[in-house]
Amino acid sequence: MTWSEFSFERYRRYLPAAAIFIVAVAASAYLSEVSLTDLRRGILKGLSLLTLFFPPDWSACKDMLQPALVTLVICLVATPIGAAFSIVFGLAAARNIAPEWLRLTARTVIAVERGLPEIVILLVLVAAFGLGPFAGVMALAIGSIGMLGKLLADAIEEIDPRVLDAVAAVGATPWQVIRHAVLPEVLPALVANSIFRFEVNVRASVLLGAVGAGGIGYELDAAINQLEYSRATMAVLMILLLVFLSERASDWVRSKVL
Amino acid sequence: MSASLAVPSNVLPSVRFRRRMALLVVCCASVAAFLIYLKVDPIEFFRDFHFVSDLIKQMMPPDLRLLWVKHGLWTSLLQTVAMAFFGTLIGSIIAVILALFAAGNTSPSWALRLGVRTLLAVERSTPNIVVLLVLLIAVGIGPFAATLSLCIGTVGMFGKLFADAIEQVDPLPGEALIAAGASRLQVIRYATLPQVAPSVVANVFYAFDVNLRLAVALGIFGGGGIGFELHLAQSVLRYKDMLACVILILVLINVMERIADALRRRLFLQEV
Repeated sequence: MTWSEFSFERYRRYLPAAAIFIVAVAASAYLSEVSLTDLRRGILKGLSLLTLFFPPDWSACKDMLQPALVTLVICLVATPIGAAFSIVFGLAAARNIAPEWLRLTARTVIAVERGLPEIVILLVLVAAFGLGPFAGVMALAIGSIGMLGKLLADAIEEIDPRVLDAVAAVGATPWQVIRHAVLPEVLPALVANSIFRFEVNVRASVLLGAVGAGGIGYELDAAINQLEYSRATMAVLMILLLVFLSERASDWVRSKVL
Repeated sequence: MSASLAVPSNVLPSVRFRRRMALLVVCCASVAAFLIYLKVDPIEFFRDFHFVSDLIKQMMPPDLRLLWVKHGLWTSLLQTVAMAFFGTLIGSIIAVILALFAAGNTSPSWALRLGVRTLLAVERSTPNIVVLLVLLIAVGIGPFAATLSLCIGTVGMFGKLFADAIEQVDPLPGEALIAAGASRLQVIRYATLPQVAPSVVANVFYAFDVNLRLAVALGIFGGGGIGFELHLAQSVLRYKDMLACVILILVLINVMERIADALRRRLFLQEV
């Protein structure tokens, strides 16, 4: 196709959409203060800063191990707690288990938890309980309930009703139906989702740490604020290692369990 | 009745049951050990619940007058959306271009392919906050740094995904075009891209959803937008304003989700 074959008529119907799109892009570029001069200056400045970031401060490695462990442990605690509570919320939010009023309440709570980023939850919890790993654990656990609870509730609603009827028909109480029909059907999916959520939590906890949940995120933020850039590089390397290891570990667990 | 149903004491529980119980006990024990290590007491949440109820008392009612009293608030709401939109858009465009270099069937050379793949892998495992903290130094505090870090995050998140999608396209249309004398770029334009477009578009919508939440989060670190307002309200202990910000964030995320859903439905209906 050459340019002579190009016809305006062919693209005419896209014009309004394209106009709206271009206006939206321009407006968002203006609002987010995009500027190419800043970018160019930033790249130049970044290149000159590189010498400050490298080489990493290997001696800080020792100080970073403990915060990295704290971050990891925060995730290791928050994910199972979130998963355990998500069973409660998942059951309460499933149409075929819970009465209508309970279902609507649980669905609303889950939607709110899912809608808010963890960091917003953390800021509220920090206002109540102060800084520290406690607020971090709670924020991650609540965030995990939001995602795992919704997935679990949807999975429970998709269970074949005949399975539940069959268990109920032989005289099972509602709790026995849950224990012997619902949970065996959805637990494998819950375990798989929790492992995935663990990976998400590791990344999120770095962010939360920088706000004040402690751990490696806090070390990174502190190092940058104190202009100790080579120390910050060490923290970044530690974070990369942590993310990499947690991904490997969750792959391994997934292959073992499922 | 219960006596006759009771399990005789000489019957041992099954191996599977014992294994599961052991696993459960180990899990609970390790969670407990971790909690002790962190010096976190989960009971504290309930014992110190008065902190929460105090906070709620201080937060109520949310100061929604802020919307018309404080002029900057609408701007910061829009700014958050703008950051997510711009970051997603530019990030996806860069991701598609890099994906073309990273996919085995469209990449001009294997060395370039390896290089781009490595770059994408590194970007993928770097948390956004790391990128943002570095960018805040380089381009200065403000929404631009957050937008850039969302761009980079999007490239990392979706570059590999797009590359894998490109590698899985049906090679036959492309071969037909080559047989008819098409150049390499023409093959990409008329055979490869049309095949990956639906998955790319679907993923871009997903990326916007993720980036909107991240835009709120990154705002807290000086990226601007509603996240920054929230952080400000929290650090000066104006909890009524803070609750208003939380509600606004919830509403914003919900509204944007609705809009994205409507757009997506229109787009896919048109294409089919």
